[in-house]
Amino acid sequence: ARAVFSADSRYLLCASGDFVKVYSVTTEETLRLMGGHADLVTGIQLNPHNHMQLYSSSLDGSIKLWDFMDGIPIKTFTVGCKLLALYTLASAEDSVFVVIPKKGERDTFQLVSVKLTKGAGQDLEAKELSVVLDGVGASPKQIAFGREGEYVVSVKEVNLQVYFFKRKLLNRFSLRTVKTKGGDNRFSCVACHPTEDCIATGHADGKIRLWRNFHQRKEYTYSTLHWHHDIVMDLAFSMEGTRLLSGGVESVLVQWHNESSCQKDFLPRLGSPIEYISMSSDGALCCTLHTDNRITIINSNLRFSRSIQGLIKSRDVKTGLVVDPRTKALVMNGEPGHLQFYCLQSDQQLFSLDIVQRQYIHEAGLKQSDLVKVAFSAQGTWLATVEEREEVTDPELELKLWFYEEETQSFKLNTRINTPHDNHITDMCFRDMGELEDDSLILVTTGRDCVFKVWVMVEDTDPEGKYAQQSVSWSCDFVGSYHNYQATNCCFSEDGSLLAVSFEETVTVWDSVTWDLKCTFCHPPGNIRNICFGRLTCSKYLIGATDYGFLCCWNLLTCALEWSAHLNIVVLQPDPLSEHIAAVSWLSKESSLFVFKPNEPRPIYIQRNLCKEKILLAAFVPRDEPETTGSEKYLWLRRSQLLFLTDTQELMTLSTKPLGEKLTPSSKQLAVEESLPVTPFSLLLGKHRRQQSQEDTDLGKLVVHNKHEQASPAVKELLHTPAHVLPSASFLCPIFINSLLISKESKSAEEVADEVEMESEKTEDDSDEERDVTEMEQEDTSHVELLGEMTCKLSKSQEKELRKIRKMDYSWISAF
Amino acid sequence: MGEFEVHRVRFFGLVPAGVRCLACQPRGSRLALARTDGAVEVYNFAANYYQEKVIPGHEARVVESLCWAAGDRLFGAGLSGDITEYDLSRLSAARGADGGGGPIWSMAANGTGTQLAIGCEDGSVKIFQVVPGGIQFERNLDRRKGRVLCLSWHPLDTHIAAGSIDIFRIIDVASGQTVQRIMVNYHVEKVKRECMVWAIALLSRGTVVTADSFGRVQFWDWQQGTLAESHTVSTSAVLSLAVAEKEDSIVVGTSTGATYQLQLLPVKLGGSEKRWVRTKPFQHHSHDVRAVAHSPTALISGGLDAQLVIRPLMEKVQKKGYDAVLRKFTFPHRRLVSCARKARLLLFQFSQHLELWRLGSTRETGKDGEVLPLSRMPEHLVQLKSKGPEHIYCSCVSPCGTWLGYSTASRFHLYRVRCDRVSLRKV
Repeated sequence: ARAVFSADSRYLLCASGDFVKVYSVTTEETLRLMGGHADLVTGIQLNPHNHMQLYSSSLDGSIKLWDFMDGIPIKTFTVGCKLLALYTLASAEDSVFVVIPKKGERDTFQLVSVKLTKGAGQDLEAKELSVVLDGVGASPKQIAFGREGEYVVSVKEVNLQVYFFKRKLLNRFSLRTVKTKGGDNRFSCVACHPTEDCIATGHADGKIRLWRNFHQRKEYTYSTLHWHHDIVMDLAFSMEGTRLLSGGVESVLVQWHNESSCQKDFLPRLGSPIEYISMSSDGALCCTLHTDNRITIINSNLRFSRSIQGLIKSRDVKTGLVVDPRTKALVMNGEPGHLQFYCLQSDQQLFSLDIVQRQYIHEAGLKQSDLVKVAFSAQGTWLATVEEREEVTDPELELKLWFYEEETQSFKLNTRINTPHDNHITDMCFRDMGELEDDSLILVTTGRDCVFKVWVMVEDTDPEGKYAQQSVSWSCDFVGSYHNYQATNCCFSEDGSLLAVSFEETVTVWDSVTWDLKCTFCHPPGNIRNICFGRLTCSKYLIGATDYGFLCCWNLLTCALEWSAHLNIVVLQPDPLSEHIAAVSWLSKESSLFVFKPNEPRPIYIQRNLCKEKILLAAFVPRDEPETTGSEKYLWLRRSQLLFLTDTQELMTLSTKPLGEKLTPSSKQLAVEESLPVTPFSLLLGKHRRQQSQEDTDLGKLVVHNKHEQASPAVKELLHTPAHVLPSASFLCPIFINSLLISKESKSAEEVADEVEMESEKTEDDSDEERDVTEMEQEDTSHVELLGEMTCKLSKSQEKELRKIRKMDYSWISAF
Repeated sequence: MGEFEVHRVRFFGLVPAGVRCLACQPRGSRLALARTDGAVEVYNFAANYYQEKVIPGHEARVVESLCWAAGDRLFGAGLSGDITEYDLSRLSAARGADGGGGPIWSMAANGTGTQLAIGCEDGSVKIFQVVPGGIQFERNLDRRKGRVLCLSWHPLDTHIAAGSIDIFRIIDVASGQTVQRIMVNYHVEKVKRECMVWAIALLSRGTVVTADSFGRVQFWDWQQGTLAESHTVSTSAVLSLAVAEKEDSIVVGTSTGATYQLQLLPVKLGGSEKRWVRTKPFQHHSHDVRAVAHSPTALISGGLDAQLVIRPLMEKVQKKGYDAVLRKFTFPHRRLVSCARKARLLLFQFSQHLELWRLGSTRETGKDGEVLPLSRMPEHLVQLKSKGPEHIYCSCVSPCGTWLGYSTASRFHLYRVRCDRVSLRKV
């Protein structure tokens, strides 16, 4: 659903799964998470009669009214069928519009208006439905309400229907279905001009049509704008209707000025296809929601302002879930060709590292290089990445090694190896000894070309040359193979002395110093899918999972099978901080989690039916501080957190606490400010009022302080505002004079002088021209000083000048 | 079915002349069209836009502007500086009058059809009275520097708008004085090019519509001298403009071959505020669209690619039928080729000469659709240049191939051809 700006454009409300999130526009923070719906939230709209309230609709069949400033659900209206989109109208008293599936028919939807009953309770039934339009599209972008709610437009396929509420007139228009000259007339989205009778529709071939005169069946007319080369994903008019924004898969936001001039502006390189566009009500901001889970906030002059970015949804997470040892961030594929560093605690992207370093071109069917493997060394100083371009015959492979630079706080490319293997690289790991000495650092890659390769760092022999300052680079040290089988996995033991490489059905164990083959294990039939070594007390065990559904544990000392279990394991993930190993099985359309220690044949934790989707990846992320509470059952989660990624790219975690505790309302309280937008003038007036009330209550010196601290910026504001936007001088004058008046307390000249001392420090930096005060004026000051109260009745700027003069005066005295 | 030899005649190099201007008969059903070679054609809307009359061109007569006046009298003016009346019954130029201001760039008839205004090279606008049997010079209006490229009468005949280079003027007809002079290139920054006002229209509500070489169609309030709206319809020049009689639709032609319709549409449904909106683009031409016309039910455009395109407005057509079909007049509607069947000769007619060709022949036979090798190539026998400045109207060759005739507007010529020695003798 489209995001919604609050009326004062300070908060951005966005539907996110079953929740509604409130973001601060200025700080990009998630201020509030409003949960309560049992299913996906499909639409959010501000209550047109109260801008502090928000309606949300969900697939669970309920409409909720929220106070989003406090995060409190006010009311819940149960409609009873799936709600696919939500619209509100200022003119429609106590009713909202929703899209629901038509009863008895599949894939047909209707727009209905729901009367929201006014009842006392919090949970209300809303069963009073009346159908407005039939045969509408399921997407919320395919319906729009026109100027002042006079009509509603719905588009579907090649048909456009307009329903006029007052005249109860329904007009249908349809475009040609035949695709001529690459044209595709199907509608994709619709938007209505806020002040004129004009409908903008986006089409599958990238055209935008502006419809007019559509109240006549025959004499309707439209004009066409065309820039997008592919489907127009969303359209939005500015509040005045002078600009039209459109976005599509090109990830370019296009701004069309009034249609008479063919002028358009672009904001390119937004990173990923634009899914939704929404405008703030004051027109100062607009925001685009992208397909990869990103929100971009854009200024009215089409400048990128900021982006709210959680986990980026990439097309395919090929790299797996990797934890950056330095930041404890989750690392995986981000934007195409980028590596994203995602912070779990703040739900924010820390940064995105461009690995491929090539311009991404949005085109269907174009094969592009993408990141497939990532590995970090134990301290996080080295990062190894593998990118490949999908080619049927021979893949284009590149292995890159990155060094973490402390100065720039980012990774810097150290070595680039073209075609490290002749075929796809299947796995990659560092020997992480956890020590700082560099010579222990070894990288192993396994490839489908039946070898594994060992890469080591070498000192640069060439002292001069271009890369003189770069002292090390990586090169291949050893190539190992086993019976010409494809190498599939590799893994180092905890102390780094042993390397296990799986070759199809066999696991081979190699000595990492001499590179001798020590022993082999296999559990036929079936190829080895995953292998890992046990840790800490269980370091003598090697765990492997096979295609044929066996989980095996071999003892490395006896070289014998310790135990095996019949489980179809897809993911095998050891906890780096304990001896626990998590295994996720996939059986009969459900995923189950087993946590075990290799030395104990019984698993210590079993969670059957973890989720319905297939879990593809898992990772243990170390906690910042060990979790204190938690039952016996969850002891293994004390030090790290287990995360899963499903095939629909949902990131899940296992929580030790019940859901309610997790969702405690955040401590931050949103300050409810007056909904008036802040203008220099309102600032002036507001300050003035506050100051007056304070003057009434307080006495003495404090009053003087308040007065000067508050009035002087106000005056500055006034003086710095261009004259043509200010109200007339006669209107401002009494307020201004009033603000300068001092209530009638007697106060000695010393007090004034004191206060002046304090003030002068502040005024120091804002006026340079006041510094060059002549001697002549200095002499005048004695006269002024005598006047005392009189000075305060002078204008502010004069007063300021006087203060400055006085300061000069004192320094002059002290010098002698 | 008999057997036919099909000849591929690829040696007829006819270059059709482009359409220079169009004129719709006010409240009538006829359309006059002038081509760049000076030929004038009259089409009738009544029966599927048939070509009613053709007046052949003349070497010295280049028509820049056509207009209907006094009912069904057709006048043309051109760079020769003459105003010509066409005799539509005798298909010839009838009477002429000297404009007296150098080459004439534009001509317009007033609403009642009693007066003609011409815009001349020297910047003058002259008024001629249409009198029975001819035209009569009436007076000169205010003369300014710069050739007058286009003219438009106010529907009430009180004012004339005259477009020139960089400016346009509004002239009060009664006093003959320029009442408003507006620079059109004022809003273009840093452009030192001249801005030609190629077409202008003065609407009844006091709006002036100009089409200029910067690709803009602009709407001006001439009394205030302010620009009301500006539509940049093209990156190249807008060359022609025509307004519907109800003044709710405008068609413009550009030098890219595209034509656009602009419509006056209500801003709010049922509201009184209206605005011009560019609506439909049409791309029917490959070259400059030099002339457009707006009939009540169709947009008519003619370009330098010699095509006349009639695009019906679907919303104005009551029922589907012949009227609702897009028409393109690409080929000449006259017989330009005549054949001497026995002598296997072809006569081609060009505007100023004739060509006689002998067809190729073959001795072989083949199946249907087969291409046969030629034993004798087609042969260009005679090129006959016509005498005088007039263009050839029609031509013919006798079946035996010995007689050849052609006619111009005033004369008929007959020639005898001797094929054995290839000689020609005027009879």
